[in-house]
Amino acid sequence: MKRTILGATALLLAVTGATAQEVTVGRFFGDCEDAGTDTKASVGEACIIQSIINAADAELDGVTVETLPTDWGNYYDQIKAAYAGGTPPDVHVMHRHRVPEFAGIGALADLTDDLENAGIDPADWEASALEAVSYNGRIVGVPMDFHANLWHVNMDLMEAAGLVENGAPVLPSSPEELLEHAQAVKDATGQDYLAADFAQFPLGVRMVLALIWQQGSNVFDGDTATIDTPEARNAIAAVTQLFDAGLANPQLNYADSQQAFLNGEAAILVNGTWVVDFYASEAANPETGLSTYHAADFPTLFAEGATWADSHMWAIPSPLKANDPETYAAALQVLAFINDHNIDWARTGHMAVRTSVLESDAYAALPHRDEYAGTAEIARDTPPSERYGAIQDVLNRELQAIWLTGKSVDGALSDAELDVQDLLDR
Amino acid sequence: MPRHPGQRFALSQRQAAVVLLLPFLAVYGLFLVYPFFKGVWISLHDWNLMEVAFNPDAKAYVGLENYERVMWGRNIVWGALASPVLQIIGLIGVCLSLFLHRTGRAGRTTALTMGIAAVLLFVLPGFHPGEEGRWFDRRFWPTVGNTILFVGLAVPGVTVTALLLAAALNGETRAKATLRTLFFLSQVLSVTVVTLIWQIMFSPRQGLIANLTELFGGTPITWLTAEGFAMAAIVIATIWWSLGIAMILFLAGLQDISKDLYEAAALDNATGTQAFWHITLPNLKRTITVVVVLQIILHFQVFGQSHLMTNGGPNDSTQVLVRYIYQTAFRDSDLGRASAMAVFLFVIMGSFSILQFVLGREKDQ
Repeated sequence: MKRTILGATALLLAVTGATAQEVTVGRFFGDCEDAGTDTKASVGEACIIQSIINAADAELDGVTVETLPTDWGNYYDQIKAAYAGGTPPDVHVMHRHRVPEFAGIGALADLTDDLENAGIDPADWEASALEAVSYNGRIVGVPMDFHANLWHVNMDLMEAAGLVENGAPVLPSSPEELLEHAQAVKDATGQDYLAADFAQFPLGVRMVLALIWQQGSNVFDGDTATIDTPEARNAIAAVTQLFDAGLANPQLNYADSQQAFLNGEAAILVNGTWVVDFYASEAANPETGLSTYHAADFPTLFAEGATWADSHMWAIPSPLKANDPETYAAALQVLAFINDHNIDWARTGHMAVRTSVLESDAYAALPHRDEYAGTAEIARDTPPSERYGAIQDVLNRELQAIWLTGKSVDGALSDAELDVQDLLDR
Repeated sequence: MPRHPGQRFALSQRQAAVVLLLPFLAVYGLFLVYPFFKGVWISLHDWNLMEVAFNPDAKAYVGLENYERVMWGRNIVWGALASPVLQIIGLIGVCLSLFLHRTGRAGRTTALTMGIAAVLLFVLPGFHPGEEGRWFDRRFWPTVGNTILFVGLAVPGVTVTALLLAAALNGETRAKATLRTLFFLSQVLSVTVVTLIWQIMFSPRQGLIANLTELFGGTPITWLTAEGFAMAAIVIATIWWSLGIAMILFLAGLQDISKDLYEAAALDNATGTQAFWHITLPNLKRTITVVVVLQIILHFQVFGQSHLMTNGGPNDSTQVLVRYIYQTAFRDSDLGRASAMAVFLFVIMGSFSILQFVLGREKDQ
């Protein structure tokens, strides 16, 4: 036994040890065991990204890629602690909304002058993708997608309620219509109209934010919190009217709300682009309650279209560029590989960032893609802030307090405004 | 001529003690004492986690400002009946400890400890923001309150359940040995596993509890997202998780009780509940004190259950101190403020350690 272990170790060292440059990768998206290296066959965010990373490990000469164990819920805490301890991963994924926090203190390597050599063409990125990864005019990351909130639709329930026209769902255009549609679904099927995670992650926040933006307002402006507004009240009322009428359940968390939709217990699920391929594959499974799936743009209930959106991007820590040029070069190769597989990542349901991919036939042929073509137009987010995470948490806590614990809207909005102002003042 | 090695290295008892203690002291100093003082030092600074990592000069000495920003507010005033329930309980406690001491039913230290706790209960809840005033951090004190509530529910829960289990499983049959192992097993699980198990148990859609409720015709409770149940849910998971150690301590205590006592009692027809009440409990007094104080110190540090099961919600009802410290330090990168809260937590836990010391000494006399 001992001999076998020693032999295996020696073999492993011989194969990988001498020449390969190891690149460590930090990412969220969850775990996928046995993702393999086939970037065309994997399903779901976790497996698709892992198959791309595995393929990079297998195909890049002289580079091995190791995925570090991270936990999605605490990802940024982990990454920040790693930076503070001087041991960040060589390459890590992040959201565009975190750029001010990380790039603001010079934590991210300036990639501007090194991309071309690494085989990454920033001119191929959509303008908004370039903007997402830029800080003070310098490129600090490689964009991977745009993602946004969609309305995922169970067409059978909508059909039963008479809410399908020309093969597309009829979605509301005002808060009043929202309530009418919801009632129609309840009357026709006995099921809830809408489900979403209103109890755990900030998906309810993103829905309310979209409705606030649709009225031309926002939650903060520069250094001033602007939460306690009539627009916020309208947005919240549009959502809570469903809870009050028993047409949606605020107490479901992420997994439970998704399960309700897949069981055929809700006509609409408000969730991101990241689950389109998963729901499409579940709808094909005869055992799930959902059989006819449709993905739709977030509807406009007020004046202008808007839905919450963000971007995933990859970055390299600045100390790596400064201190370890060899690993830095290898890390850039990994980023180039991921950039080359933008079409594979788009299979999740996310929108691609490269013009050449967006215009390709393969992209247009992705399932349900044409059903939410309008989303790129209406994509929005709160203004950039170093306190983004904390602000989201405040909003999540106070909105949940409204629908889960019966806190008054006045109390919640004034508390949220004070707390966000405190964060902006720090 | 070679000297005898034993003579050459002969150490006095004191020297030997120092040498033997040195490894412990080094590790203790490096990993506990130094970080503690470093924490106090950080708490006196405006210290951003990431900024200081990239630029050591990015911190600024601010004295006690972090403590003020966390614990104090603008226009804070004191009222004798600001939160009547707690303060009246405090007043009753003061009277009770005086009465117990006067009538000789409580020792001096016990009465004094009780008195101090009661005075604090009367004084502390009296602070509140006056007109136009507000707490600088409106979430800190409610978070402290939640932590105390958690401790107040979990500690008696663990102690009573563990005591009953220990009493029931104290014996030499194979079944009892197996059950003891089973009940201890949960203790070895990590908090992630425990919370995962209980999240599934509490799930209103797939959970065992929901299925049972539905079986009996009830509507499932959404434990983790209902304000009235979320704290109960994490307390239940905690009791299940931390039963083991308490049970083992009680079993050890039980085995110290002489069989003669039970035999004598049996001759007087005192068995079962009566024997438990009049023999087991009094003889376990010391073990109970140890278990209670250990549990108090342990549960003040609750983090994982709240962080993983409820995210501190709904409406902050399960937000606990360590989670708040964690969020302030790592999410908000505000290490100074987080350290100030950690020092506060240290003071609370330190006072319970002193309490244990005092109570332990009183018994010896």
